[in-house]
Amino acid sequence: MAVFNDVEVIRKLFVDLWAHLIEKTEFGPQMREANLSVLFVTKDPDVHMYVDGHGVLFGEEARVKDAVITMSMSGDTVHKFWLKKLNLPKALALRQIKAKGPVPKMLKLLPLLKPGYPLYEEGCRKYNIPMDV
Amino acid sequence: MDYFDINLQLTEEDIELRNAARKFAEEVMRPIARQLDLMSPDEVVAPGSPMWTFLRKAYELGYHKTLLPEVYGGLGLAPMQIHLINEELAWGSFGLSILLGVCAFPFFAACLTGDEALIEEFVIPFCSCTDASIRGCWAITEPEHGCDYLAYEDFFRSPKIRGNVQARLEGDEWVISGQKSAWVSGGSIATHALLFCQIDPSQGMAGGGICVCSLDREGTSKGKPLRKMGQRDLNQGEIFFDGVRIPKHYMFCEPDFYPQMLEMILSSANAAMGIFATGCARAAFEEAFQYAKERIQGGVPIIQHRSVRQRLFDMFAKVETCRALSRAVMNLNFNVSPPLPEYSLVAKTRCTQMCFEVAHEAVQILGGNGLTEEYLTEKLFRDARAALIEDGANEALSAAGGHIIGQVCPRSRADVFEP
Repeated sequence: MAVFNDVEVIRKLFVDLWAHLIEKTEFGPQMREANLSVLFVTKDPDVHMYVDGHGVLFGEEARVKDAVITMSMSGDTVHKFWLKKLNLPKALALRQIKAKGPVPKMLKLLPLLKPGYPLYEEGCRKYNIPMDV
Repeated sequence: MDYFDINLQLTEEDIELRNAARKFAEEVMRPIARQLDLMSPDEVVAPGSPMWTFLRKAYELGYHKTLLPEVYGGLGLAPMQIHLINEELAWGSFGLSILLGVCAFPFFAACLTGDEALIEEFVIPFCSCTDASIRGCWAITEPEHGCDYLAYEDFFRSPKIRGNVQARLEGDEWVISGQKSAWVSGGSIATHALLFCQIDPSQGMAGGGICVCSLDREGTSKGKPLRKMGQRDLNQGEIFFDGVRIPKHYMFCEPDFYPQMLEMILSSANAAMGIFATGCARAAFEEAFQYAKERIQGGVPIIQHRSVRQRLFDMFAKVETCRALSRAVMNLNFNVSPPLPEYSLVAKTRCTQMCFEVAHEAVQILGGNGLTEEYLTEKLFRDARAALIEDGANEALSAAGGHIIGQVCPRSRADVFEP
């Protein structure tokens, strides 16, 4: 069974997470400086989430955005990634993550997400999302 | 010689990057490559060899880190910019461009893992290196296995085929033993390797693993550099492992996704070979073009002979085709993850073939002069010939490509982009 069964929970969890990253870490300034934006397309549940250095959008507002990087994966894969339980090269090689956008920009993104890992765990506890995956 | 770029979207930055690489290729790479070509393999890698001058200057200018992201100290270039620079470098020397490419290979692969420990230990020091003291190599090829590494044949999973380099896990360490063949590019001088080894022999060549490791560990030794027909400026040589121990986390890929990771890495390498072949093809065309304008036969420059003009145009067309194809594939496969291997195979097989045809025709236009070491064309021809086999013989790669398109063609956008 998929970890996420409530799209609203995802929305709340990530609104908090991105707001913190954008306002309180290097993520915001670096994303703005590099003019970088990411569209996350997830399945199970179906969610479109667009993030740049200014904020986050969901649903149709996100879907129509022209992002520099698009990353497609299942909700379970998203969950494992933020819990640092995902073997990234394995997920890419096995096509569990499909990405579109310049590889150097994708690589730039990864370290900027690091401060988000503990926040995500906090969010999981707050919304009772299982972490023993 | 300059060329007109049919891509009218290049930015000023793109053009500056290309011009700087061209200057380096012309003033540093080409003269050094010609010197190295006339030396013995031992002399090429000896202290004081001009190869070291080339490497130090390349590292000073940051050309060793064109593939690496800015966040770790790399140049953070767009795929088109990577192409522009590497075509110029390969115009300067096919072999030295490959050397620079493999110098980066273990570190580029470590980068893709996203593993903080590997990035800290390997990637960041490589990016900050300016004296060429950190040099990688791609240790895949083995004495008994070249095309056995292509994951599309039945024998790939046969336990009857045993890898020449084996790794077994002992506690928190991998223990590596065996031999890589003399075809390891940069192997003679490398300080680090992107090492492919067999972990689970019951799965045959599919039971492999990939690790990043330094080559100063106890039990590591190297053979003599190989003497070969072309790309003599690119040192290649054996590496031996006798119970070499590495920390467990260095092995970032194990058999559960080894075939797919192998495919990803081959896709990067094959796309790069398409770019290098473009640079070499352009160099050969330019040599023949210039010669044809100067060489007088029948009382006129030979470019005025109809047959020569026609052949020069065919060469020009092949260079343009190589550039268009290798750029398109670079733009595709450095913009989608995982890459689409069939297109990298198209770039490698077609561009190296056209490069060889252009270099062959250049020799023909130069006539007897094309056969002599006095003219660069002779070297370019030998370099181009090597590329038909290097990184996978084109026939074997085409067979692999045929297998892939049989499975996936036509790809849908959903297959490439949707979860």
